[in-house]
Amino acid sequence: MSTRVYSAAMTGVTPRPVSVEVHLGKTNSKFGLVGLPDTAVREARYRVRAAMASSGYEMPRSEVTVNLAPADLPKAGSAFDLPIALGVLIADGKVSIRHPGVVAVGELALDGRVRSCRGVLAATLVAVREGIPCIVPREMAAEAALVPAVDLYAVGGLAEAVSALEGRMAPSSSRTPEAPTLPVPDMADVRGQEFARRGLEIAAAGRHHLLMSGPPGMGKTMLAKRLPGILPRFTGEEEMEVACVWAAANRRRPVRVRPFRAPHHTASVAGLLGGGSGIPTPGDLSLAHHGVLFLDELGEFPAHLIDALRQPLEEGLVTITRRGVSVTFPCRALVVAATNPCPCGWSNDTVRQCRCSPASVERYRRRLSGPLLDRFDVRVFLGRMETGEMTGSPGEPSEAVRKRVSRAREIQARRGGLNGDLSSAALDALAWSGKARRVLGGNIDRGNLTGRGYDRVRRVARTLADLGESERVESVHVLEALSYRTGV
Amino acid sequence: MSLTAPPVPYFFHRLRLAYSGLHPERVHSLVKASDPVEAVRMIETGRVKVSPAAREAVGVPAERRMEELASSGVTVALLGTDSYPPWLAAISDPPDLLFVRGALPTLPGVAVVGSRRATRYGINLAKAVGAAVGRRGAVVVSGLARGIDGAVHQGVVEAGGRGLAVLGCGLDRWYPVSHRRLGEALLDNGGGVVTEYPPGTVPEPWRFPVRNRIITGLSRVVLVVEAAAGGGALISARLGLEQGREVLAIPGDIDRATSRGCNELIRDGAMPVLGTADLLDLLEQEGIISQLGAGHRGFGPGDAEGGLEEAIGEAGATLEVLAERMGWPLTRLLVSVGELESEGRITRESGVIRLKKEHGRNG
Repeated sequence: MSTRVYSAAMTGVTPRPVSVEVHLGKTNSKFGLVGLPDTAVREARYRVRAAMASSGYEMPRSEVTVNLAPADLPKAGSAFDLPIALGVLIADGKVSIRHPGVVAVGELALDGRVRSCRGVLAATLVAVREGIPCIVPREMAAEAALVPAVDLYAVGGLAEAVSALEGRMAPSSSRTPEAPTLPVPDMADVRGQEFARRGLEIAAAGRHHLLMSGPPGMGKTMLAKRLPGILPRFTGEEEMEVACVWAAANRRRPVRVRPFRAPHHTASVAGLLGGGSGIPTPGDLSLAHHGVLFLDELGEFPAHLIDALRQPLEEGLVTITRRGVSVTFPCRALVVAATNPCPCGWSNDTVRQCRCSPASVERYRRRLSGPLLDRFDVRVFLGRMETGEMTGSPGEPSEAVRKRVSRAREIQARRGGLNGDLSSAALDALAWSGKARRVLGGNIDRGNLTGRGYDRVRRVARTLADLGESERVESVHVLEALSYRTGV
Repeated sequence: MSLTAPPVPYFFHRLRLAYSGLHPERVHSLVKASDPVEAVRMIETGRVKVSPAAREAVGVPAERRMEELASSGVTVALLGTDSYPPWLAAISDPPDLLFVRGALPTLPGVAVVGSRRATRYGINLAKAVGAAVGRRGAVVVSGLARGIDGAVHQGVVEAGGRGLAVLGCGLDRWYPVSHRRLGEALLDNGGGVVTEYPPGTVPEPWRFPVRNRIITGLSRVVLVVEAAAGGGALISARLGLEQGREVLAIPGDIDRATSRGCNELIRDGAMPVLGTADLLDLLEQEGIISQLGAGHRGFGPGDAEGGLEEAIGEAGATLEVLAERMGWPLTRLLVSVGELESEGRITRESGVIRLKKEHGRNG
């Protein structure tokens, strides 16, 4: 017996092929299903039987045993209905298969229709790797089309799937010509706040984590939401990685747009980092992989949550262990945090009075310091303007900013990594002009800069030089970089 | 009036006397004692002792002076003629001649004056006042000096209003030189620059208090924005009172030297102005501005002349505010702020930049 029908399951963010083995025995009319199925998979037996009958195929009169191999990989969901039905039909000799193998995914309705289900992306990825065609529910064709170069059959029913199997149907093109792109809010909507805009651009260019502080209503959230729009466009590889993470979370995400996740400060560790019962799923941190993780009201996040973020952010990976199963998710997110300068939000405002006691302000700010806060290279304060900037002309559109950001990233790529990841040693090895070194030295002597602050300023200065397409870091870059380390 | 048709007797001699560089009061008493012709003769014959340079200047024929003036675009208004503002003529010691570039106003204006050494508070107020009044179409008169004067003119220019600057030197130069562009902007906006001193007169300290009587004389209302005790702005206030002008002042902190003059004025009976609305109400009552046409517009970018440290001011400022005040491109501002910080001249906290040496007042 040779298996030619496959499905897929995710382990962490890795899609793994699952072969659907069907054995027809001698005894009468039994249907066994093995290979760590969850309840939904186990119930596939009933759906498969009914769907086959409705589509005009008879169930074999012998004992049917279906094994989903590898048997120790947990399988979940309804996506195995279609491959099981196809596997049974092939084993029974009712259907011949024209392909060396096929990956199929889909939930069966009792009347034989194929419904949408989770795991489509995993299946298409497996299909690409194995070099075989893929059968998916018609409603899921767009998600499947994310993966280039796969012969795709989008089917509406079991009968149609059979005709795809027998080669009586032409594959749809591997990639839909124009995948829908969600509109992302544009920077042009932001009037004024030039300093914060610049901070955003730097953060995007060097993937520096960004901390925005300022009184309520100055546009912190508005700016953060516009960050995905100025990040460089996805590379195919990045988009695939993101798609895999989201597939692991059983989430469908808008295609072609960098993710933006804004967990609330009441979120659980599992919600933020990943976890959950059973198979660990990625949390918001990983769902923001290659995108933006926005922590609004950072001062309200409990300390343990903030601490938990630190290591994953440094490593770009988060490892979740549950009942002996250890799964690693990527989390190269750009973190943007927003905070008020004090509990009431109006400290240092030129118009409104702060109502906080000095002690409570002190306490609030102390919470905003610590190891994670050290990772925010770019810090901007959004202040009130003296006159009505709301009447000003619209800001520069995102696309123009994105061009500069992309250019700066290309330059960094040639050096071998993003500036936000540069270590002290790597910073030492960069090209600095004599004057730039003197400015840095002078600020250390004056006590303006201490160890970590020194590295932050140097990282930002390097990004400023890249934005200015300057080979060497000049003194002007360092001088400007000094502006982005103001505390809360 | 035009220079091609000198209308009244003694114009030529009065013009020549103006070039003597003498104190206007001295000239006035000479003329009063006899007449301009005789006064010129007394200087020429040495019966009135003046410096050799002054005597030489008086000796230059008036026709040549007029040619010079015409070629440099300066007109002259003579006391007693139609072109001379009658409300200025009504003061006790009006200048015989006014050298004019641009336009002379047809209505009395609003004098807005204050210290040259102004705080950021005063500068902001002056700008706002200049803009508010200028926008309503009244002529804003000031002295184009550093500090409050300059800010007033700046506000007027930014609001697209008409301003009148009264100089303490000849129209062939600007004082301070850094206000040259501001003065030119005044002219471009349909305003004017006037002085009683002929071209070639250099700015000397004593000339400024003297010209203050022209500032107030050309106005119906005198507003002192910010003044320390004993400053030139208080001279203007006193002159305004003597000339029967309405004197107003903006109060300030009582423990600040820079507010002392204004607060004393208020104590002595000047009307306190607590905002532009206050001022506009009064101007409406005085008939200086009509109640119509109160269109509102935002302010433009700030004065590019003032130094960054000055813009930071005593109270400190955020980068947004500095960007607005300086009107610089952001990166230039950030680099300059970085320089100040590297030199240890400022501190930053919560986005607020403060001067280090000043004991900053907290907001």
